[in-house]
Amino acid sequence: MLELKHIKKVYNPGTVTEMCLFDDFNLTVKDGEFVSIVGSNGSGKTSMLNIICGSIPIEGGQVLVGGKDISKMKDFQRYRTIGRVYQNPSMGTCPNMTMLENMSLADNKGKPFNLGFGINKAKENYYKEQLSILGLGLEDKMDVKLGALSGGQRQAASLIMSTLTPIQFLILDEHTAALDPKTAETIMELTGKVVKEKNLTAMMVTHNLRYAVEYGNRLIMMDKGGIVMDKSDDEKEKTKIDDILDLFTAISIECGN
Amino acid sequence: MNEFLELCVGTITQGFIYALLSYGVYITYKILDFPDLTVDGSFPLGAAVTGVLLVKGVNPYLTLLAALAVGAMAGFMTGYIHVRLKVRDLLAGIITMTALFSINLQIAGSNLAVDRGIDTIFSVVPGMQDIPLLYRKFVVSLVLAVGMKFVLDWYMKTKNGLLLRAVGDNETLVTTLAKDKGTVKIIGLVIANALVALSGAVVCQEQRAFSSTMGTGQVVFGLATVIIGTTLFRKMSFFKATSAVLIGSILYKFCIQIAISLGLPANLLKLVTAVLFLIVLVLGNRQKGGADHA
Amino acid sequence: MKMKKLMVMAMTMVMAAALAGCGGTGNGDAAEGDSANKDIPVIGISQFAQHASLDNCRIGFLEGLEASGLKEGKDYIIDYQNAGFDPNVAQQIAQSFSAKNVSLMCGIATISATSCYAAAEDKDIPVIFNAITDPVEAKLDSGNVTGISDKLPIEEQLKLIRKIQPEAKSIGILYTTSEPNSVAAIREYEEKGPSYGFKVETIGVTQQSEVIQAAENLIAKKVDCFTNITDNTVVGVLPSILEKTNDAGIPVYGSEIEQVKLGCVASAGIEYVALGRKTGEMAAKILKGEAKASEMPYETVKDFETYINSEALAAMNIEVPADVAETAMDVAKEA
Repeated sequence: MLELKHIKKVYNPGTVTEMCLFDDFNLTVKDGEFVSIVGSNGSGKTSMLNIICGSIPIEGGQVLVGGKDISKMKDFQRYRTIGRVYQNPSMGTCPNMTMLENMSLADNKGKPFNLGFGINKAKENYYKEQLSILGLGLEDKMDVKLGALSGGQRQAASLIMSTLTPIQFLILDEHTAALDPKTAETIMELTGKVVKEKNLTAMMVTHNLRYAVEYGNRLIMMDKGGIVMDKSDDEKEKTKIDDILDLFTAISIECGN
Repeated sequence: MNEFLELCVGTITQGFIYALLSYGVYITYKILDFPDLTVDGSFPLGAAVTGVLLVKGVNPYLTLLAALAVGAMAGFMTGYIHVRLKVRDLLAGIITMTALFSINLQIAGSNLAVDRGIDTIFSVVPGMQDIPLLYRKFVVSLVLAVGMKFVLDWYMKTKNGLLLRAVGDNETLVTTLAKDKGTVKIIGLVIANALVALSGAVVCQEQRAFSSTMGTGQVVFGLATVIIGTTLFRKMSFFKATSAVLIGSILYKFCIQIAISLGLPANLLKLVTAVLFLIVLVLGNRQKGGADHA
Repeated sequence: MKMKKLMVMAMTMVMAAALAGCGGTGNGDAAEGDSANKDIPVIGISQFAQHASLDNCRIGFLEGLEASGLKEGKDYIIDYQNAGFDPNVAQQIAQSFSAKNVSLMCGIATISATSCYAAAEDKDIPVIFNAITDPVEAKLDSGNVTGISDKLPIEEQLKLIRKIQPEAKSIGILYTTSEPNSVAAIREYEEKGPSYGFKVETIGVTQQSEVIQAAENLIAKKVDCFTNITDNTVVGVLPSILEKTNDAGIPVYGSEIEQVKLGCVASAGIEYVALGRKTGEMAAKILKGEAKASEMPYETVKDFETYINSEALAAMNIEVPADVAETAMDVAKEA
C-alpha cells in the first residue's frame, strides 16, 4: 500500500516565481490497484510521481510504503521496490549497450553489482521468453544496441526491463506520449498485459482519456494540485469518456483556456 | 634498416606506456562522459611516488602498485568533490589537478632523478638480461599495455563494469536500477586515475626521472589518442574500444616521431600534431555520414 | 564500408612510409653519398626550448667544436632537435638519437639532458649537458656524462648590487616554485643576502600568468631593487616586468647578458655562449678519443663577467661607480 499524507510542495521557494503546487495533498493506493491519472498540464500529475520516487524534494508531509515512511530515502534507494517507465523512450534503456546487456542490467536490480560476470548466458533464454511476450520480435535482437531500435521498440524493452525483477510499484509516466498512435496502442496493450500477468500495483499518468478509461481499475483526475475525480472498480466501469471530457472541459474553462 | 627498426620499436614502446593513460581517459571521457582534468595531476603523481620509492630501494614492481593506489586516491578526490560536494565536473578536476601540483612537489621535490644503479621494471626482467634494453623496454611495456587491456575488457563485462557503462550511457537508468549513480561515477574516476598514475609510474621508471611539469598536456594527449583510436576503428566491430585506444596512442606517438624525424622546428611540432589530429577527425566524421545520434 | 577500411589502411601506410623515409635519411641533408658519410660521427643536440640563453648554449657548443679544430660535415654532423617546452617530446627526441646510434648527445637544459642520459643508458652513448644548475641533484655527476653547471654567481651579484646601490636595503626576487634551480638559488640568496646588508623578499609563482601579479606585489612591498635568477618562467615575461618596475622607478638586475640587453640595469652573470663553448670543447675531446665523458668531471663556471646597461641605469638616475664601469661591458654601447 502506498500512502501520500499531507504533502506540501512549493516550487522555487523564496523567489518571485514561487508556486505552491500541493498543500495538504493526500492519496492512498491499495496493493493490486492500477490507477490511471489524467489532468491538464501543470495539474501536478508528474510532480506527484516524482515525489513518490524521490526525484524532487517536498516541503512537508510523508510518503509511506507498506506503512513505512520513505520520505527521507534517496531516490535510488526507493527504486529498490519501484519500477518506472518514462515518457522519453531513451530514458529507460542504455542506447550504446546491446539488448542482452540491457536485460542483464535490469535483471541484476536488487542484487550486488560486483565483479561477477555481468552476462548470464544461462538466462538468455529467459530474457528472450520475457521479450517474446511483447510480440515485437525483440527476442531476436539480443546482440543489437538499443540505440539502433525505434522509439516504440525501446519503450517496449523499457517496460520489460522495469518489471523484470519483483517490484511493488510500477510507475508509468506518460509512457505512450512520445510514440505514434499505432505504437502507442501496442505499448498500452502490452502494459495491460504485463501488469495483469505480474499482478503489479501500477500508477499511470496519461493524456489519452481513452486509455485512462479502458485500462486500470481506478481513475483519478487532478487539477491544480488536487484530486477532482476519483472512481474505483464498478464506479469506474460505468464511467464513459464523455463524462471525463465534460469535467475536463469545465476545469479548463475555469482556467481560461 | 636497423636504425629504422629501433626507431619503430622505441616509438611503439612509448605508445604502449602512454596507452595506460589513454585507457584512463577513455573511461572518463568515453564511458563516463566526464571531462576529467585530474589527469594532468595524477600522471606526475604516479611518477613522483614511484620515483621516491625507487630511490628508497623499494622493489620496482611494488612501486607500480603504490602508483595505482595513489592514482585511485586522486580519482576518488575528484569524484568526491564532484558527486558529494556537487562541484561541476570540469572544476572538480581542476581543483584536484591544482592541489596535486603542490602535493607532487611535496612528495618528490620539483625534479627527481633515479640513479642508473637503481633497478627498474625494465632493468630487472627475469630471463631477459641478455636482450638489449630497448627490446626489454618494448616487451615489458607490451605486457603492461596489452595485459591491462585484457583486464579492462574483462572488467567491462562484469556486473560492475556493465553498471559503469550504463552510468555514462543513461544515468537515469542507473537510478531506477536502485544504484547511486554518484558512487558509480566515483568508481570510474578511481579506476581511470589509477591507470593514469600507473602510466606516470612507468614513464618515471623508463626515464629515470620525475619532473613536476611532466603532467602538462597529458589530458590533451589522452583525449587525442582516444578520439583518434575510436574514430578510426569505429566501424570495425571486431575491434574492442580498448584496442582502438591502444593503437590510437601508438599512432599519436608515431605522428610526433615523424614530425621530429622530418626535422621540423619545435615550434611547428604542435601545429603538425594539430593538423594530423584534424585530419583524423574529419575522416572520422566523413565515415559517420551524419548518422550520429549519440 | 570498404571506403573506410581503405582510408584507415591508407592513413597507416602513409605514416609508416613517412617514418620509413625519415628513418632512412634521418641524418639530415648531409646524408647523401651514404658510404662516404658512414664514418662521420653524428652529434645529437636536444634543446628543451627556443629561448635566448639556451640558443646561446647551442651556438657556443658549435663554436667550441670548430675552435677545437673539427669541421662540420667532415668531422661531425649535427642533428639538432628542439622539444618546444614539452618533456614528452624531449623524451622522444632522446629516443630517436639512441635509435640512430649517434656518437654523442648534447642535452641543453635539465629535462633534455636527463632524457638523453636515460635514452643513452643501454648503448652507453656519451652525454654532454649544458645549462644545468645542479648536476648532482639531477644524477648527472657520474657515469658516461659530463658538462658544465650554470650555477649563478650569487655572491658576485650581491656585491655588484651593493656597489651600484649603496643605500639599498631590500631585494625582491620572483621565482617558480616548481623549478629546482630557482628554489636552490632563492635559498642561497636568503642565506647570503643579510651578510651584504640586504633583506630578501621573494614571491613564488606556479605559472607564467601569475608573474606580473607577483611583480606588482613585490613593487607594493617597496623593495629597492629586483634581481633575476635563471628562471625560465619569470624571465619569459621580463619585458612586462620591466614595464612595471620602470614605472615604479625600481632597477632590475639580470642574471645573464640577454636580460641586460632587454633592459635590466646590470648583471654579474653567466655568458651562455662562453659556457656552450666549453661544452663544445669537451665534445671535441670525446670525438677525438682524447678523453671519455665518464672520466671528465663536470665543471662549474668560475669566471663571471659584469654587464651593465648604461641607458637603463641613466633612466633610474643611477651613477655607475667608476670601478664597475671600468671592468663591465656596457651592452648599450655595444649595440
